[in-house]
Amino acid sequence: MDKRTVMKMALEWKDPPYVPWNINFTIPSEERLRSHFRGQDLEEVVQNHMVNLGYDIYFYHDIGNDCVRDVFGVVWDRSVDKDIGVVKGQVLAQPILKGYNFPDPLAPEVFAEVSDRLERFGDRYRIFGIGFSLYERAWTLRGLQTLLMDFYDNPRFVHELLNGIADYNIAQIRESLKYDIDAVMFGDDWGQQHGLQMGPRLWHEFIYPVLKRMYGEVVQAGRKVFIHSCGDVDELFDDLVGIGLNCFNPFQPEVMDVATLIPRYQGRLAFYGGMSTQRTLPYGTVEDVRQETQKLLELGKSGGYIFSPAHDVPKDVPLENMLAFIDEVQHQPGYLNRS
Amino acid sequence: MEPVLQEIYDSILNGDAKAMEAKVQAALKAGINPKDILDQGMVAAMADVGQRYENGEFFVPEMLISARAMQAGLAVLKPHLREANVAPSGKVAIGTVKGDLHDIGKNLVGMMLEGAGFEIMDLGTDVDPEKFASVADQVDVIALSALLTTTMPNMKATIEALQRTGKRGKVKVVIGGAPVTEAYAQQIGADGFAPDASRAVAVTRALSGH
Repeated sequence: MDKRTVMKMALEWKDPPYVPWNINFTIPSEERLRSHFRGQDLEEVVQNHMVNLGYDIYFYHDIGNDCVRDVFGVVWDRSVDKDIGVVKGQVLAQPILKGYNFPDPLAPEVFAEVSDRLERFGDRYRIFGIGFSLYERAWTLRGLQTLLMDFYDNPRFVHELLNGIADYNIAQIRESLKYDIDAVMFGDDWGQQHGLQMGPRLWHEFIYPVLKRMYGEVVQAGRKVFIHSCGDVDELFDDLVGIGLNCFNPFQPEVMDVATLIPRYQGRLAFYGGMSTQRTLPYGTVEDVRQETQKLLELGKSGGYIFSPAHDVPKDVPLENMLAFIDEVQHQPGYLNRS
Repeated sequence: MEPVLQEIYDSILNGDAKAMEAKVQAALKAGINPKDILDQGMVAAMADVGQRYENGEFFVPEMLISARAMQAGLAVLKPHLREANVAPSGKVAIGTVKGDLHDIGKNLVGMMLEGAGFEIMDLGTDVDPEKFASVADQVDVIALSALLTTTMPNMKATIEALQRTGKRGKVKVVIGGAPVTEAYAQQIGADGFAPDASRAVAVTRALSGH
């Protein structure tokens, strides 16, 4: 039974032989892990269950001075935060879309490596990812504070911008569906530590209809819809399930009750994430990490859950804590006894 | 409340920055004391904004447009406040700590404090501990923001910089940000913790003796 099959069983609540996992690392934590496993391929060490396609592979171009420019023209200063960076400048200085050229959603680079990656990691669950997929793309073009005020100042422009972004995404989604992929994952942070950044009313008015359009493409093709949205967004789960959401990430335990949500949404919404990157992983002992991992694996043993830290493992997580959760997931009896 | 003060108050609640200049001018022309315009028209309105944020009625967009309206009115009122020798509620230096580039939380706190009558020195993001220490003589409160557990240690480093330079006793330190907790504030010797931009006002008022 390959990893792809185990993932499908987990996502369908069909009693997988073990809880699958998928763990990503920030650059500094990956370097520490590489250093520890000197000479070994980290893919072989970690044994992730997903292969990510799209997004990072073609998206950024180095423009010097620790800055990169993405295909939408947004400049990211990575002098401090090496993984994502901070937006520099303002591509859409005015609330006018006319004159702005969206990038080519079907640029050759988008899909250039997909076939090779599918061949290399063919035993894994295949996800085509679109990062900064809607609201985040809009604010990176306009400025976060400016876009948040645009909801009131320039509503027509916001609708136009979000739909323009969705048109770009849909063209890419349709092309990705021609490959043997299992899911499309939309990354878009809406939450804060408490509640939504824009609040539920504006979310429903501006973002929800566009999500329905995008998710609909995936649903119609019989594939799964995953989302990544940081923060306290669980008030949206029922609405999102209603338009096709199948799996939610990052599932941060500091802002939502993971132990309640996994059983509550059994059969409707699976979860991917759940391991604390704000408390347990940076500050807990190895035993704390092992216990929390065990609790999550227990919660997900019948399906509906994919283990992961609640974000790419940040640099303040001690090496021994990383090794602890990797060890726990890989010592699940069903995984050790796999055929 | 005088009708024009109510109009100023409502304009802030409604985020109507365009109306503010004319309304503040009208209030001044009507002979209303600049301090009353500030306290009853603006500070009270921003307190209402903060309460609605805490109640889950207002979110970041509403806070931003209300703060923008408040700032538009304050720009007209400031010279009159100076002329009338109206002192600010206190002076606050605010910044996101070293290694952290997130600014919206800091900006919201700055806006709410300004709306409560404080004078703000915004040091920006990625601020060295020594930079905070260098302005301690000029302010009553230093407000530190961090969004990441990886940058929170620089809150402690800032307090240590204040201690090293002999300025710790001259200034109060309040901290906040998504991963920050009351327990952490106590652990590092901060004077206060604010869970959000609205409650930052009450905490800062208490710390600055107002």
